[in-house]
Amino acid sequence: MNGSFSVPQSAAYPWPLLMPKAGMIVFLVAVLGVLFVLDILLGSVHIPLPSVVSILLGNGSESVAWEKIVTTIRMPKAITAVVAGAALAVSGLQMQTLFRNPLAGPSVLGISAGASLGVAMVMLASGGAANAIAIRQLGLGGSWLIVIAASLGAMAVLLVVLSVAVRIKDNVVLLIVGIMVGNITVSFISIWQYFSAPEEIQDYLIWTFGSLGGVFGSQLAVLCGVVSVGLLISFATSKPLNVLLLGESYARSLGMGTFSTRVFVILATSLLAGSVTGFCGPIGFIGIAVPHLARSILNTSDHRFLMPTSCLMGAILMLACDIIAQMPGTQTTLPINAVTALIGSPVVIWVIVRQKNLKSSF
Amino acid sequence: MRESILKTSDLAIGYRSRTRKDLPWKKQLHKGETVVAEDINLELGSGELVCLLGPNGSGKSTLMRTLAGVQRSLGGSVLLKGSDVGRLHPKKTAKLLSLVLTERVMTGNMSVYSLVALGRYPYTGLMGKLSQEDEAIVRLAIETTGTRPFAHRHIGDLSDGERQKVMIARAIAQDTPVILLDEPTAHLDLPNRLEIIRLLKTLAREQQKAVVLSTHELDLALQAADRIWLMNRSGGASSVMLSAIPESLVLEGHLEHAFTRNGFEFDSHSGSFRFRHEGKWNVGLVAAGIMAYWTQRALERIGCRVIKAATDIRYVEVEGVGSDGCWRYYTEPGAEALEFRSLDDLLHVLKSYRVEETLH
Repeated sequence: MNGSFSVPQSAAYPWPLLMPKAGMIVFLVAVLGVLFVLDILLGSVHIPLPSVVSILLGNGSESVAWEKIVTTIRMPKAITAVVAGAALAVSGLQMQTLFRNPLAGPSVLGISAGASLGVAMVMLASGGAANAIAIRQLGLGGSWLIVIAASLGAMAVLLVVLSVAVRIKDNVVLLIVGIMVGNITVSFISIWQYFSAPEEIQDYLIWTFGSLGGVFGSQLAVLCGVVSVGLLISFATSKPLNVLLLGESYARSLGMGTFSTRVFVILATSLLAGSVTGFCGPIGFIGIAVPHLARSILNTSDHRFLMPTSCLMGAILMLACDIIAQMPGTQTTLPINAVTALIGSPVVIWVIVRQKNLKSSF
Repeated sequence: MRESILKTSDLAIGYRSRTRKDLPWKKQLHKGETVVAEDINLELGSGELVCLLGPNGSGKSTLMRTLAGVQRSLGGSVLLKGSDVGRLHPKKTAKLLSLVLTERVMTGNMSVYSLVALGRYPYTGLMGKLSQEDEAIVRLAIETTGTRPFAHRHIGDLSDGERQKVMIARAIAQDTPVILLDEPTAHLDLPNRLEIIRLLKTLAREQQKAVVLSTHELDLALQAADRIWLMNRSGGASSVMLSAIPESLVLEGHLEHAFTRNGFEFDSHSGSFRFRHEGKWNVGLVAAGIMAYWTQRALERIGCRVIKAATDIRYVEVEGVGSDGCWRYYTEPGAEALEFRSLDDLLHVLKSYRVEETLH
């Protein structure tokens, strides 16, 4: 490298590579592809693999019903799983680094709580069971109402947290404020539930179980659009997030704009987590777990590689959970929220115990 | 005088108390400013190694933060290459001044190499991709600090000394004319401390960097620093700043004044601190050279007041050097001598004599 420097033992120590092995990414993409097809293949109605592949390739199939099931139900659901998994994982990664706290996740700033409040307001305040049923019968329109309410709720909490972020310089304090705002929001919901009729609460509870199956057509397009914008902002924050790992003082001394970084990260997180929560309900676990898995498997702290890997792994985990939630071969489905935690937690524990490099990530 | 890279004029440092807008109930309690030190006029030239000394609480860290532009000054100005630090864009400051802080960076999964590479942050593009030149600078910084053997290891797995060298490598990779280090030798053992100071000295000499480090290592600072900035609370509320070469600080008694406490004294000859022994039991000592020096220290340690070359009271006479040494103790002038082959034995007997005499 540099001729003027002669450190005799240098040759014995090869320079480490900043790039992790590309093979891992290829492997993850392959797994994602297989699971995507598997998610579409498996369900309560049996459709043979050749037909599924043929429909996916746009060649149609012998059965119109099959084609309809795949293109209008299973495909949107699989795409939703991929988008939601990627979005939640990336927002979790950002939160963990911003707050330098391994327990942080997209729900930590009260974003999920805000979305829940919005939904609760629509469902519980719409006055009487008749109205709630009317909303459900509205179908698409009703769902839009819930999506908009959830997004507005998430945004309201976000604005509160952002206004605090402008004044407070300390990220730990901001984290506590976020958690407290979330608590306040949750208590609003509790009070609301307490004074509501049981039927209304049931609707709300079903929403909190989470569902990937309710996003079609234009809704899916909006979800994909919002998540793409969020991911784009997230990828652009990779560089400042890398120096944030050294702590805020070092980051500032390296010329990082503390304020702009924080605003962009919070904005991206709320776009990602807010939209997914609005469309699919509050899906827990993915946001906290996937960043740890990505760090553990890649053995790096570089966000330029952790971001895409988290995207892939979040999508993979979400698809896997969805496959299990469908209980292939049976007529029942499980709530996705229960499955993500039930299946995901042991996986994470296994990886952490096996890799042993997770300690003191921050 | 060489051209100065960093210059402060009438700088006042300290904290602004909060305004009413922030904390309404505190308005009555805190009003105005807490001045830590004022009238600070300093100049820093390239190639200079400056040690910032001062007792705890004298405002060393506050000064460091103010110089780095992280904290706002209360008055006066800090000029970094002619432009005001307070108004400089953080990105520009980052190309002129780098910091090594006391906080421990323990990020898991981050390798030494990628940490040092973060030093290139102000120079890289949106995604932080290192150019070949960047990479060459990172590698040079690692070679310079001797951290290459563990460049692939994770930060969390390093010892304190190794980690400090890595943090300095990161500052070098930032490629700034000024490097500020806040207590870089804290928590390190003596060889590591010496190595860090030697490294910084080399940096200043060979790469013409201006290096400022705050430290409590008085003797190391006196040996290595080209100039010492001494902060001292002298009675008043705020600290007074002195800037001078180490030798004149000692000769003019400033160090003694700043650091002397009850029970300690600053030895102007050796440039280090020692206990002040207040022995009352007079003992004469007849010895020469190194044997005299260490025998005196031993006697003072057990509470004797040593009177050199006195033979008219109880006295100790030393002969020979090192392991051939022989100590003779005369309980009074003309008395028969007790002979000892080791200092330990002498002290042992002296202690019992002293106890017996003070009891009677």
